[in-house]
Amino acid sequence: MSFLIGIDVGGTNTNGVLLKGVQVLSTVRTPTDHHNLHAGTEEVLTRLLQALPGEEREPVELHLSTTLATNAIVEGKGAPTAVLIIPGPGLRWEDLPVPFKLYPLAGAIDHRGRETGPLDREEVRAAVRAAKAAGYQALAAVGKFSPRNFQHELAIEELIKAEFPELAPVTLGHRLSGRLNFPRRITTAALNASIAALQAEFVRMVEAVRDQYRLGKVYLLKADGGTLALHESVHRSIETILSGPAASLMGTMALTEGLADAVALDIGGTTTEISVFVGGEPLAEREGAVIAGYPTLVPAFFSRSLGLGGDSQVTFDGDRVTIGPQRMGPPAALGGSGVTPTDAVVVLGGAALGDARQAYAALEMMGAPYGLEPHALAEKIVDAFAQQAAAAIEEVYAELNSQPVYTVSQVLAGAKLWPEQLIGMGGPAAYFIPKIAGKLGLPYQVLPYYEAANAIGAAASRPTFAITLRADTALRKLVVPELDYEAAIGQPFTFNLEAARQEAVRQTVNYARKMGAAVAADEVEITEEEVFNMVRNFYTVGKNFNLRAQVKPKICRIGPTAAGAL
Amino acid sequence: MATKPKVGLVFFPAFDWAIAADHPEREERLLYTRDQLREEGLLDLPAIKEFRPGIATRQDIERVHICVPSVEAVCTESHLIAAGGTITAGDLVFSGKTERAFALLRPPGHHAMRIVHGSRGFCTINIEAVMIEYLRKLRNGRFRVAVVDTDAHHADGTQDIYYNDPDVLHISIHQDGRTLYPGTGFLNELGGPAAYGLTLNVPLPPGSGDAELLYVVEQLVLPVLHDYQPDLIINAAGQDNHFTDPLTSMNITAQGYARLTELLAPDLVVLEGGYSIEGALPYVNVGIILALAGLDYTGVREPELPRGVEKAGPVDETVVKKVAFLQEVWAKRKEIDLAAIFGRGDYFRRQRRLYYDTDDIYEFQDEEIKICSSCSGYRKIYSLAEDDRRKPVRIAAVLLPWHACATCEQEAAAAFDRLAAEPALDYVYFQNPAAGQQPLVSRAVRREREN
Repeated sequence: MSFLIGIDVGGTNTNGVLLKGVQVLSTVRTPTDHHNLHAGTEEVLTRLLQALPGEEREPVELHLSTTLATNAIVEGKGAPTAVLIIPGPGLRWEDLPVPFKLYPLAGAIDHRGRETGPLDREEVRAAVRAAKAAGYQALAAVGKFSPRNFQHELAIEELIKAEFPELAPVTLGHRLSGRLNFPRRITTAALNASIAALQAEFVRMVEAVRDQYRLGKVYLLKADGGTLALHESVHRSIETILSGPAASLMGTMALTEGLADAVALDIGGTTTEISVFVGGEPLAEREGAVIAGYPTLVPAFFSRSLGLGGDSQVTFDGDRVTIGPQRMGPPAALGGSGVTPTDAVVVLGGAALGDARQAYAALEMMGAPYGLEPHALAEKIVDAFAQQAAAAIEEVYAELNSQPVYTVSQVLAGAKLWPEQLIGMGGPAAYFIPKIAGKLGLPYQVLPYYEAANAIGAAASRPTFAITLRADTALRKLVVPELDYEAAIGQPFTFNLEAARQEAVRQTVNYARKMGAAVAADEVEITEEEVFNMVRNFYTVGKNFNLRAQVKPKICRIGPTAAGAL
Repeated sequence: MATKPKVGLVFFPAFDWAIAADHPEREERLLYTRDQLREEGLLDLPAIKEFRPGIATRQDIERVHICVPSVEAVCTESHLIAAGGTITAGDLVFSGKTERAFALLRPPGHHAMRIVHGSRGFCTINIEAVMIEYLRKLRNGRFRVAVVDTDAHHADGTQDIYYNDPDVLHISIHQDGRTLYPGTGFLNELGGPAAYGLTLNVPLPPGSGDAELLYVVEQLVLPVLHDYQPDLIINAAGQDNHFTDPLTSMNITAQGYARLTELLAPDLVVLEGGYSIEGALPYVNVGIILALAGLDYTGVREPELPRGVEKAGPVDETVVKKVAFLQEVWAKRKEIDLAAIFGRGDYFRRQRRLYYDTDDIYEFQDEEIKICSSCSGYRKIYSLAEDDRRKPVRIAAVLLPWHACATCEQEAAAAFDRLAAEPALDYVYFQNPAAGQQPLVSRAVRREREN
């Protein structure tokens, strides 16, 4: 039985867990020291390794969920980054909604991946020189429609490698995502480039720790709930953003039975995070993660943040109670200055927290002008909280159900996503869960508050890979942008959807191998596929295929007894 | 709540529907447009929001059409979604959810006339008319609409539906009917007795480009719209006037189209034709969306502009003359002696032969419009349709206008009763757009014919 360590470096605490198979052997927690992430992580690691049976000689695998990339982006600590873009015709590049320094270049690729304007190498050189002179330390290069034809981006990479090695490596847009969305691809590539140096430093540190403690393979958790091999993260660090929320959902999956179609609420102090499970799996964002207000193409779990939490501001006009979205600060029960939803819970006896008399006094002061008893006001507050949360959940499902679809059969099928149950995380906020479920008419489950859930989520996750395959038999060309793969279609008249599927699976398996993971063909699923006949002047001239294939996030169920024993 | 999006986009490419495998109206038609919209990232812009199309009901269709024999028999689901999506777009603007909306969907509809025996010019259901009637119903008929159809083909269907409707102004700018399907849309088609001058046709000579199109818009369309003061302006935006279109001979560019959209400032844009699916649609649609959103569209250009197309030359002489003629018609439309045009009788009668090119059906129509001083007059239509697959079908329909007067209501009811008794007719329909919940095509008579 193999041993596995999962560590989640969270905003407040760093949690670690040692697993033997699906059994939790040990958990460790220390406060996160933001000035010295390395030390805290190492401390958790060494303490977990002490719990390892002495006779164990097999190297232990390590899964890390860190806030490194997220924080660097949120706090704007990445390197000064410029992007060489090949905008082609369309929205003017000056109007692109991306907050980076852009150097526009001549050249164009059309929607089918045909070059409609050549790249000017002299102009590339001049742009790189200008970027360097302006003090930019990291570069990305992104062309419009580069997932359909990435030759321009490759040429830029080659030029920089040969002539400006001090600015290499340059992040290329097409390698990070085969999805079409030029502005998001620019953002994704720019953010990736900006944190590449930080990531490289982090990787060197972790490698040193790995060697020192003779650990086995090391993986980082990604926003889509999968893992990424440590050495690969140097090139794709952007994928490790938002790994904390992903670890939390993976932890929920590992610890919960019968998730099926569920909505999960994580009620914190300032916000409530709403996640959606469909068929037992977390729903993914349609396009990609949004981080610090930047829309990206990074695959991530769907979640919506609601300005409603235990420490939210409560206002009362004598009739209606409104909660949030501002944070009030600590509850009155804990010495705060105003009424919070947590105080209402304390007054109603739903949680033993701080000084109940202070909570009572604060509610009394708020209700007195209107002749409302603290108890009655507390009930009003809890009801308003539940009402706002329920309305937000309904809004989330309305949004999901109104997502556009492009075929007659999908329109006729309709979209009827709706949860079968409400899952709430534990803690004082659990008091609200039954009330919210009541408003929605749903059964509910409150998961025991479990500090190590994120670490378990990280530990129990598996590598994920996704590729995009585009084949155009009229152009006799097949590309897989994530892999720099471009090939001629030898038999364009017999190339069909089945052939495209097989190729997509083969490419995904190769990709996994390249990334240091063994994946069998039957673990790959085709997540999107379309095929179109191409008719020109009333004759069929070929077909084009768009497929996406992936190795899905997987999770080991961690036995409830093992977890409950903690 | 975020600020209200400027443009609501109802994008429905119907990727699983085609008229026939090799037909221009096929699955692939909006594929490259989708790719371009996605790659441009337009849907991430706060000014633009995408919406899922609704599905039109039988009642929505029957508010406009007499479908022979029935809505179910002539419509596929994709027609109901295209019409439903257009209603969705209309609703966005009507309810104030978005400032403007774009129904970027297929199949199109502007060749579909009041009576529908099948599909003509790739159209079965007139999606703009279905949307207009839906909104009019919400306002009990008190709603004035202007449709500016810029498809390269004459919008003969929309013209037919609103020919005698004083609350709908219909302007069609198209390639001269002497050189293109459907062969109509000439200067002298100006509307029926109750709506004279509210149908305007501007046939452009083949080869016309941005200069001619924009001249017509600036010199004719904008002043007419200013006079008419509609509650809603719709641009039926066929894109087959593009210089790359395989079916037509026009020279409009994406820049020209975007400028048209900016000038016209329509509340609603509805895609009609346009079959240069790679060279035109991706660029024209991006141009329209940017212009609708009030964003800079000057960067939108086709990969290859043919020599001379971009250059704005002097406007074609014949176009200047046609515009001058129509300006005068418009200015004098209220002084015109209608009796001189429509006769002094109680009815205006016209007989037409219509060809359904898509379904290869021949139709003969005999129509009578009551010339009424209190309302726009009820209509009576006889229609005979035949094709080589089935027996000829004979039908008659009695149609009440919005705000019909009591006399017309009584006469229409009596006319229906007489027609219903005529043994030669297979179906007899009665249409009343103001009818409440009951079927709009009520008292339909279906006769099992012998032999």
